[in-house]
Amino acid sequence: MITKTEGIVLKTLKYGEADLIVTYLTPDRGLIRAFAKSSRKTKSRFGSSLEPLTHARIALWGKEQTSLSKITQADILNSFHPIRENYNDFVYVSKLAETLISFTPEAIPNIRLFAFFLNILNIIKDTDLQGSTSLHIISQIRLLKHLGFAPRLSSCGRCGGMSHDFYPDAGTTLCPSCVKDPRHQSKPFVKISNQAIHFYSHCIEWPIDKSNRLKPNQGTLAELSGILDRHVSFMLSKKLMTSKFIENRGTASKRQ
Amino acid sequence: MSSGVVDDLITELTRLPGIGRKSAQRLAFFLMGMPDAEALSIAQAIIRLKDKARFCRNCFNITEDEVCSICDDTRRDTAQICVVEEPSNLIVIENTKVYKGLYHVLLGALSPIDGITPERLKINELIERVKKGGVEEVIIATNPNTKGETTAQYILQLLKPLGVKVSRIAYGLPIGGDIEFADEVTLSKSLQGRNQM
Ligand SMILES: [Zn+2]
Ligand SMILES: [Zn+2]
Repeated sequence: MITKTEGIVLKTLKYGEADLIVTYLTPDRGLIRAFAKSSRKTKSRFGSSLEPLTHARIALWGKEQTSLSKITQADILNSFHPIRENYNDFVYVSKLAETLISFTPEAIPNIRLFAFFLNILNIIKDTDLQGSTSLHIISQIRLLKHLGFAPRLSSCGRCGGMSHDFYPDAGTTLCPSCVKDPRHQSKPFVKISNQAIHFYSHCIEWPIDKSNRLKPNQGTLAELSGILDRHVSFMLSKKLMTSKFIENRGTASKRQ
Repeated sequence: MSSGVVDDLITELTRLPGIGRKSAQRLAFFLMGMPDAEALSIAQAIIRLKDKARFCRNCFNITEDEVCSICDDTRRDTAQICVVEEPSNLIVIENTKVYKGLYHVLLGALSPIDGITPERLKINELIERVKKGGVEEVIIATNPNTKGETTAQYILQLLKPLGVKVSRIAYGLPIGGDIEFADEVTLSKSLQGRNQM
């Protein structure tokens, strides 16, 4: 049976001699993986339509229940090529894609998540380089919120009181009196600055374009990025590949 | 009789790229049906490969010596280095007989989402080669896909300060095809990379 839908390519995996397994985010079937025969051959009829981030109208063959349908057609709606051509944008968008894949169960339709991710790609594509670092962090915060996994940093997660101590194992900040709870005593925590809390709260509350007008300093962004990484690593019990990549690249550029 | 030895072989074969459990089973049963001498000669070829073949000290091409036959060839133009992802890419470029310079094999391509970081590739070794001097042009011939492009851009960042000319193989339409079947990205890339006639 052939089904038609649209999808955004989140990830591709080489398979066999010249095939690919493509991970798509679709509005009506959620996160799915599909198989593209001979797609790595230079004369493949798929052309560039299976490259990461491509938004395409796709036709899939196979029973809907089977995990791996076959892609029979992919017509590009938006290639998002400018993102792929910008090294930093692509690395950070890969992080968003990996976050999405890691927190989203397969084959659960989610139109809002699809629309949200498509919107992020459009905003990043249209943003000039200067604003990009803060935009990457804002997008990550909004995505985690969308997925229901954003940490609570604005106030103590138990009593709502003031706190600057983030406990990754609780996914929230906790104030000193609530930490008296033996479950949280002696657990590792991270101190967060006022600026980071302020910027984060703003991002949680407001849409991306509004937060993107704020100009947080690099230190605040780096601080938040570190906290989000710790939070995500704790939730997933593993570090994101893209987080490792970004850290590693840091040391690579220092070396030269 | 236990089928432990067959299972072992099937498990081992699934380590190969593109070989799933089913293909591995088919291969294992095929090997069982083969004459002993033929099956053993496959095994021995693998042993010899692992025993003798290694990566060239300079360019990471496959060789049986310290240095590969291309690096060792004095007729090659040492001012040019062509950067490819895999030794198999080097072979197809060699087959064109158009290129007379040297190579550098990265042994992969960068991919943030798969955790393929610069450290896992032979990028630092490339930079060191260029720093040693004598190289005028680095031609980046990584694959014309996202991973290849990401790798090309990363290498460009590192090579820029070294003052060497860096070029990228041209993106274009596959010969023998029809323009109307080309997708927008391929077509716009080949328009950007057009040549004067
Ligand atoms: Zn409290
Ligand atoms: Zn060599």
